[in-house]
Amino acid sequence: MFRQRVIHLLIIFMILLTQPGCWSSKEIEDLSVITGLALEKGEPKTLEREFEERGGSYPKHNKLTATVQIVPERTIGSSGKEGEKTKTHFYNISETGDSLFEIFRQFSIRKNRQIIGHHLKVIVISEDLVQKEKIRQLMDFVLRDNDIRPSCLIFLSQGRASDTLMTAEEEIPSFRLVEMVRNNFRTSKVMKGITLSNLDALMYSEQSFVLQNVIEAQGEVKFSGAGIIKGETGHWIGNLDQNDVESIAWIKGDIRGGSLKAYSQSNDSVTYEMKSVKSKITLKETDDKKISFHVAIESTGRLIENWDVDAHSSEVDYFEELEKIFEEKLTQQINALINKMQSTYKVDVAGFGDWLSVERPHVWKQIKDHWDEEFTRIPVTFDLKLKITDFGTTSD
Amino acid sequence: MFKRTDDKITTSQAAIVLTNSMLGAGILTLPRDLVKAVQTPDAWVSVVLGGVVVFMVIMIMVKLSQQFPGKTVFQYSKRIVGNLPGGVLSSLLILYFIVVAGFEIRVLAEVTLFFLLEGTPIWAIVMPFIWVGTYLVYGGINSIARVFQIVFPISIFILIICFILSSRIFDIHHLRPFMSEGLMPVIRGMKSGILIFTGCEVVMTMTAFMEHPQEAVKGMMVGFCIPLVLYLVTVVMVIGGLSINSVITSTWPTIDLVRSLEISGFFFERFEFPLLVIWLMQMFCNFCSFFFNASLGISQVFNLKIHPVMFALMPVIFICTMIPQRINDVFRLGDSIGYMGVLIFMLLPLLLSIVLLIRKKGLKQNV
Repeated sequence: MFRQRVIHLLIIFMILLTQPGCWSSKEIEDLSVITGLALEKGEPKTLEREFEERGGSYPKHNKLTATVQIVPERTIGSSGKEGEKTKTHFYNISETGDSLFEIFRQFSIRKNRQIIGHHLKVIVISEDLVQKEKIRQLMDFVLRDNDIRPSCLIFLSQGRASDTLMTAEEEIPSFRLVEMVRNNFRTSKVMKGITLSNLDALMYSEQSFVLQNVIEAQGEVKFSGAGIIKGETGHWIGNLDQNDVESIAWIKGDIRGGSLKAYSQSNDSVTYEMKSVKSKITLKETDDKKISFHVAIESTGRLIENWDVDAHSSEVDYFEELEKIFEEKLTQQINALINKMQSTYKVDVAGFGDWLSVERPHVWKQIKDHWDEEFTRIPVTFDLKLKITDFGTTSD
Repeated sequence: MFKRTDDKITTSQAAIVLTNSMLGAGILTLPRDLVKAVQTPDAWVSVVLGGVVVFMVIMIMVKLSQQFPGKTVFQYSKRIVGNLPGGVLSSLLILYFIVVAGFEIRVLAEVTLFFLLEGTPIWAIVMPFIWVGTYLVYGGINSIARVFQIVFPISIFILIICFILSSRIFDIHHLRPFMSEGLMPVIRGMKSGILIFTGCEVVMTMTAFMEHPQEAVKGMMVGFCIPLVLYLVTVVMVIGGLSINSVITSTWPTIDLVRSLEISGFFFERFEFPLLVIWLMQMFCNFCSFFFNASLGISQVFNLKIHPVMFALMPVIFICTMIPQRINDVFRLGDSIGYMGVLIFMLLPLLLSIVLLIRKKGLKQNV
């Protein structure tokens, strides 16, 4: 009996030791949660330069500057500055170097709390950095890291990427960017968010793709078109504007909402609101093995605004007249995109390659290695059918 | 003290034991292995084809075992091919079970260390699992089957929930084009498609423990179909959610699928943690099954008491777990386990059945 009791006591003691589960636990108060990461060309900020002047440097090339956004900033003690400044709930800190992980660990010799990437929501990369370094190189660490989730969104920025993580208002800039992506159903100028796992697949496929472009002014940000990443090189090669992004959505038939503005014959603004968009790509092959794409787009929508107040804006004849105008406007817009893709940048980012790989895998297999070049020679024709099905709550 | 004398399991318990012996760490890496071999989105076809092959293997095993009611492969192999050859064959199987048990624990530890408990020493994860495993295995097949019955619905429930949630990023285009390059890539993937079912060897011992061995075919069929369906769903969901380009580059694709989405406002925002935590139990069951079979084999082949054998196996499994140095070694070990499994199948059920057939039908011997 006594022996058994000793064994029981021992077991209970052991269980007690293992049960709290405190092994390598970390208190949340001691962590710096990062929610945003901005990468840009290596230009040490003034603070960093001052550190370096005092000998706080280590062997490195200043290839990139990484800025992380930490939330929430610790709110103990206020700096005795005069006047109430708007309280910021975040804190940005930058370091320059040539290894993202090393930079992340450099933060530990500047700050007391360790940074953790579990809640990283957005990564903004400035275009001039991607022009110099391959995107795969820049993304390597974040793809390998076990904390950073593949659901993190990726953007490009035209100016300095760290500026897009600033704000003049009481909000957290990285969350703002994430939430702005949801406006995709209001206008198709907002692209569907590209997550890290999407990006991984895009980079592996070595086809060209676009990433939403963010610009910044006076603490505000704006989605402005998209930056093109060339698949073969992994470098940024140029920008598409807002309308081009919308045209890509038209070609893919992937529109959840948006507007199309044109000018009527009397040169007044008329605006069409998309309710549904369907597109169908077909491949035409001529006898001498030349291929061409034909895209048929059908859309229904509503006449949502008409400045031409004299017109009879509820009559079918008038609608048909307007449909022509809208179709013409859209054709121009889409042709502008095709022109940019085929002549200016010589890439396909509107999903023709994807379509080919799914529908004609045999054709695709032969040309996928030089698809961008091939695409520039393939004629693309369009057939647009817009139908105004209603006119809102006012007629005439 | 109450002591069970009839250590038997029901048919449904046998089915669950078989299911839990196959469903383990494999599900976390399986899509990558398959897609790497197949290179097209048709990887799931390989799972179906592999499943058909393994199904036939299982049927042979069951039929063979049914010839010797109440006897495990360790016992009847001696009767079929003689004492020494039978012992050698059984030892091979035992070795296989030990290595698989060690491998299972190692993968469990790797995943836990990487995603859940960064900083915890590996032995602190491995040892409690081996201890608790020993405690469970000590209770015999009946206790094992009961634990499996409890764990199985929970782990499957979480897995299914994860897949339902990941349907948000599922895109059918990622699974197209279907069979664009014909059957060849699918055949190439057959190897991986078969290897994922390692663990089915337990059929040769489970049948002996069944209360109604005549229902073994039914039970094993059910026990086999559950992992087959789950593997199929996993491959389809992971490829559909991530696309093959992303699956190839991912070390743990199934976890990455769940990591690729966030559901704000839901009970959990991130589902990889519940999935991992619950799947640990599944991997534990998997480990216990192999542990039990290994100790059972040793005790039956060398006529030893089973309980001391279990304790003696603990350090052996621990060493097996700690041998691979790099993660590459772990994955390579996983591959070699697959090949070992195929070899074991060739040597044991096939060879034994052929010898048995010759002796019974050809030589009219009474075995």
